Amino acid sequence: MKNIINIELKKGINLHIIKTNKFKTNLLSVFLSTPLSKEKVTSNALIPAVLRRGSKNMPTQDEISIALEEMYGATFDCGIDKIGDDQVLKFYLETINNEYLPEQEDNLDQAIKILLEVVFDPLIQNNEFSNEYVESEKNNLKQIIEGRKDSKATYAYERCIEEMYKNKPYSLYKYGNLQDLEQINNKNLYEQYTNLINNCKIDIFISGDVQENVQEKISNNDNIKKLQAREATYVINNKESRKKESKQEQEVSESMDVGQGKLIIGMDILEEKDKDKYVALVYNAILGGTPTSKMFQNVREKNSLAYTASSSFIRQKANVFIKCGIDIPNYDKALKIIKEQVEDMKKGEFSDKNIQEAKTNIISTINFIPDEQDTELMYYFSQELSGYEMDYEEYIEKINSINKEEIIELANRMQINTIYFLKN
Amino acid sequence: MQIIENLKMKEKLYMEKLENGLTVMIIPKSNTRKKYIMWGVNFGSIDNHFILPSTKEEVEIPDGVAHFLEHKMFEQKNGTNSLDVLSSIGVDANAYTTNDYTTYLYECNDHFYEALDEFMDYVQNPYYTDENVEKEKGIISQEIKMYDDHPFWQVYMNALKCLYKNNPIRIDIAGTVESISGINKDTLYACYNTFYTPSNMLMVVSGDFVPEKLIEEIKKRLIKKENTAEVKRIYPQEPLEINEKKKVVEMDVNNPLFVIAFKDKVLENKEELVKKHIAIEILLYILIGKSSSLYQKLYTEGLIIAAPDLDYEFSKQYAHITISGQSNNPEKLTEEFTQELKQLKEKGIDSKIFERVKKKIYGNYVTEFNDVSDIAKMFMGDYFKGINSFDYIENHKQVTKEYAEEILKEVFDEEKMILSIVKGK
Repeated sequence: MKNIINIELKKGINLHIIKTNKFKTNLLSVFLSTPLSKEKVTSNALIPAVLRRGSKNMPTQDEISIALEEMYGATFDCGIDKIGDDQVLKFYLETINNEYLPEQEDNLDQAIKILLEVVFDPLIQNNEFSNEYVESEKNNLKQIIEGRKDSKATYAYERCIEEMYKNKPYSLYKYGNLQDLEQINNKNLYEQYTNLINNCKIDIFISGDVQENVQEKISNNDNIKKLQAREATYVINNKESRKKESKQEQEVSESMDVGQGKLIIGMDILEEKDKDKYVALVYNAILGGTPTSKMFQNVREKNSLAYTASSSFIRQKANVFIKCGIDIPNYDKALKIIKEQVEDMKKGEFSDKNIQEAKTNIISTINFIPDEQDTELMYYFSQELSGYEMDYEEYIEKINSINKEEIIELANRMQINTIYFLKN
Repeated sequence: MQIIENLKMKEKLYMEKLENGLTVMIIPKSNTRKKYIMWGVNFGSIDNHFILPSTKEEVEIPDGVAHFLEHKMFEQKNGTNSLDVLSSIGVDANAYTTNDYTTYLYECNDHFYEALDEFMDYVQNPYYTDENVEKEKGIISQEIKMYDDHPFWQVYMNALKCLYKNNPIRIDIAGTVESISGINKDTLYACYNTFYTPSNMLMVVSGDFVPEKLIEEIKKRLIKKENTAEVKRIYPQEPLEINEKKKVVEMDVNNPLFVIAFKDKVLENKEELVKKHIAIEILLYILIGKSSSLYQKLYTEGLIIAAPDLDYEFSKQYAHITISGQSNNPEKLTEEFTQELKQLKEKGIDSKIFERVKKKIYGNYVTEFNDVSDIAKMFMGDYFKGINSFDYIENHKQVTKEYAEEILKEVFDEEKMILSIVKGK
């Protein structure tokens, strides 16, 4: 059963209404998707930060904050994401559903107005962004880029990706780099903003217990009216976009002042097949996705080498990443055990019970999706970027259909690309 | 069974104290498939000194026992691990330990009662051996080391060390690699038998349930245990004054982290607690929240990148306010904050701002009722503080500007303020 309605407002601009009565809030979001590129990644990362500083009618940040607080603390958030080879600028507004307000008010109307204004009607002076806002946000972004290594586990994971995708768009840090940041000013950033708004893929989501007329409210909004139809430029995440070549495995290590080593192993799925996105989920669950998985059982429970020992599957790039935090001198021992687990997967050394448990776990996760507002929203958006649509029932059916041979076959197309170790 | 209805949230709480002393809270949610259950024990990291009920002997246990015990509850006598058993039926189980309590939990869509069998079985049947206790030391050591490398955790722990001289809240929940080395199966059994008694525990469930039926199912799975007297815990005398004004530590970080904190006195009066908490949340937003003039100033000056986290943490043993975030100059930020605080105390609160921020806080409380897991966690955390979570919605209206101004003068006392910083080398 589908609870989403997709409406093309204009070519390249889509509205998605998720009707649900499970929450006390309405969640609105705008996603701007554009291909990741070395030239644009930094300025795109800066755009949401500048937009949230002020719009035409609410020229300062505190005016926006005040308007939100008046709506019983609507929360506005924006950020940058890297989804496959796309860079996504995300804007969210969460508001309390009218039903739970102590007084009769219309929160949703106001929310739509504010969100669309912040994204599409910025504060402009002579075809430029405010110089003050751009300079101060450049300074903030600089701190974010420099502060990247402050969170060791994330840093190690991102560094592993960088090594795997050298010179390719996916290696780019979603917040960009310092060299390009210096070149940005309020004029060229506004140019890039205009360019982005006119060409990117635009998706507007509304999730909540909303009325039918919400579609009209959006399409009649002045900021939506003024947008041009476009042949949206973005990368559809599919088999072609993530095609891999077979490579020699590489080992990379880096030193930092840490007490615990972070070991990340990035693996490629070669010669990807259509069904891989489901098979790999089951493969991953058996390898390191659950407490009964090989990683958790062997690295943590049997050998007490780690507290965190897991793996994850990144569908948009057809990669599986193994991650664990270990004592630095235990590197060789841990690596040997992990490689044995990867080999065991190839040899089919896992039981039907393991497969059944893996499936049960995945299906349970799928069933949780509609009970979490942002998870459901991202579920649909991720499909939108991948160019297919699938409801929960169909998804569960696909998972249930997978057999042992398919998992072994996939395991044998799984190749270690990079072993990354953060040590001291 | 007691039924408390909240008309504004359109939610009900069903509460019952069973014969053996166990309290059960059920918050039904009919429109969700997700189910969430927590079973908490009033035994946290600060409970490290108490009277053993069996021998009446006074004991002090190594740091990190409550957390260690939590890790060791999953292994069963028959060689299975309950985490695995639950995972194999698609049930996501977990546990965590705070300063004040330990809680076991799981979430699921299906197989709730099948999972309840395993869940209630493992929490009621400890199985510790020399071997399985020894093995866990390696795993927990890695957990401790992970936190040691975590600047965000370090700056927070240092803030607690600045605030408190004696209270065990200043000790890491997991203990240290040295302290856990002194833990053996006897320590664990002694603590289990002391604290894991029905009257010292709380079960909270949220999801699509008929409360009367659920209570019966829970009762069926309880092992017969006597309703025991309350555990006598011993806490050191904690002065009202802070321990240390400031602590600066160097780590491998680029952006310095800070925690500004105020030590507060522990409040006995439960009625007052909720009101005070609401007032403090409003005050924090007025002082340094996103719409505040101070935040705008700090942001424009490049002294802060994002709105700081604002918190009031309290129990029956401690109470403090924390303001935490990242800044390239935490000292300067603190100075400006102190200035702002002084001014606000002198000039009083603008009533327009007060009403607006008060609205915002109300919205925060409503959002907490979105998800069964948030609901269960909230009711449990509040219960161990002696609070019913609905009280925040109910008391919100009564918090006046005048009351908030009193709290501002009383609690935001510069003498009780500390600063913890972690900066780069």
